[in-house]
Amino acid sequence: MASTKITGTEGVTITKTGQQGAFGGELLTVNFGPHHPSTHGVLRLIVDLDGEQIKRLKPVIGYLHTGIEKQMEALRWQQGVVVTDRHDYLSPPINNLAYALAVEKLMGVEVPPRAQVLRVIMSELTRLSSHLVWMGTSGLELGAMTMLMYCFRERDTILDMNEEISGFRMHTSYIRPGGVMADATPRFLDLLATFVKEMPGHIDEYEDLLTMNPIWRARTIGVGILSPENAKILGATGPMLRGSGVAWDLRKNMPYSGYESYDFEVATDDACDCYGRYLVRIKEMREAVRILDQALNRLPDGPVNVDDRKMLPPPREELETSMEAVIHHFKLFTEGYTVPPGDVYVAVESGRGENGCYIVSDGTHKPRRVKFRSASFVNLQALERMAMNHMIADMIAIIGTADTVLGDCDR
Amino acid sequence: MISESLITERGVSAGDEWITVPAAQIREALAALKDDGYELLVFLTCVDHLADASRNWPARYELVYQLRDMEKLRDIRLRAFIDGDPPEIDSASDLFPPANWDERETYDLFGVMFTGHPELTRILMPDDWVGHPLRRDYPVGGEVVEFSEEHELWQTAPDEA
Repeated sequence: MASTKITGTEGVTITKTGQQGAFGGELLTVNFGPHHPSTHGVLRLIVDLDGEQIKRLKPVIGYLHTGIEKQMEALRWQQGVVVTDRHDYLSPPINNLAYALAVEKLMGVEVPPRAQVLRVIMSELTRLSSHLVWMGTSGLELGAMTMLMYCFRERDTILDMNEEISGFRMHTSYIRPGGVMADATPRFLDLLATFVKEMPGHIDEYEDLLTMNPIWRARTIGVGILSPENAKILGATGPMLRGSGVAWDLRKNMPYSGYESYDFEVATDDACDCYGRYLVRIKEMREAVRILDQALNRLPDGPVNVDDRKMLPPPREELETSMEAVIHHFKLFTEGYTVPPGDVYVAVESGRGENGCYIVSDGTHKPRRVKFRSASFVNLQALERMAMNHMIADMIAIIGTADTVLGDCDR
Repeated sequence: MISESLITERGVSAGDEWITVPAAQIREALAALKDDGYELLVFLTCVDHLADASRNWPARYELVYQLRDMEKLRDIRLRAFIDGDPPEIDSASDLFPPANWDERETYDLFGVMFTGHPELTRILMPDDWVGHPLRRDYPVGGEVVEFSEEHELWQTAPDEA
């Protein structure tokens, strides 16, 4: 039977499929989005509904495709950092880190210890701010409006710290191949010390609001089950995988930037549902504060960049006294540096899972190919498995706890 | 274990282990590696070696499969070289479910045809798009931007390509 279009309001199209549903009615195909407010960006979903039950779900992505990988091929190695900020816009320093580590690995460069610790500090602050946005918006969608206010209050403190250390609140471009942009200022370290002291209390506050909240529990417990086997088969990473009870964290299993020397636990939960994923993120925030505390206490003195004039510009004062420094400066900003031919893949743990960077160099001053492995792109494929046979209102909870960032997904 | 007869070349690039297999036997190789414990396909992508002088490349397109063994904590990269217009290779979406969208992306951006893929359609670009943007002969700025006074094409491929 040919499908017939029955109604059409703004953004929602409903089509009768002609298939018979279990409750005596016909299956309807409903189009959500791409501007539905609960999709955290521009995600379009084509859903087959039997009454209110989801029988088929097809995500349609690409609305935020900005051609970042193509742009990288036209930019020099050091210019590419700015673009990496912009694909997963909730965790820019973590994306910078993946790119910087990949370039450094190919060039065989090791950054100084102070830069390593600053990188860990920025990564963990970003993880916290990313989880805060997730918790605020997910709370908002499921009826806990206050969460948004509480979470954005603390996120603003983190953005203030970003501004203090890099000059930018969101797209920091702080972590660069060869080190970091600038050393931490004393005010940044003061802000961080206060933050580390106060944050556990704020996390308790969020838990008071949500963990035993009957509405929150009713909306999330038993909703969006993803078994450990399915999570592994579908390639899910991050809180999606750990929420299914699999203790897999790249910071622990395949450490980078000195994560092996920090004392922290991998947050897991065996519930496999939306509530489990919520608990995992809460635990992860507590662990992030622990890592920040350790990093702050061990922050060594020393340079924050590699001492290589062929890769990083000389300090400003040298330009006035040394001809060699002027030449290096000129060469670096007109031609850039070259990276030896070869390819490398480096993965880091972002707030959403494994965000990796695969780069191919042909020996010139621009990359031949840069591929970002994004956790959102892979995790989104598990959406149908999680949402099957659930009510349409549960889909909002499921999309929420999958925590996809569409900019990351579409790149 | 993957049989040695399948491997045409092997090496280590910046600490990452890799092997090259003939494109026609890509499914055999992937299945063998999956049996060997590499159960996670981290990503799948393509590299366009048009006018790449860094090495004597056997073909223009290089398919790259990054696989991971989560038990033994090891990664391996599988390469396969293909040519042709359109370039064709067997789909791995039934062996590794995450390959489904990765292959759609590679088709969308490079025009690689994956034989046996259940639904090989564009995923990032609009359905009616012409061309495959990540090929090196597709210029940056290939789309005309409205209201821009001077539209300029920006080539990522060298002139001799």
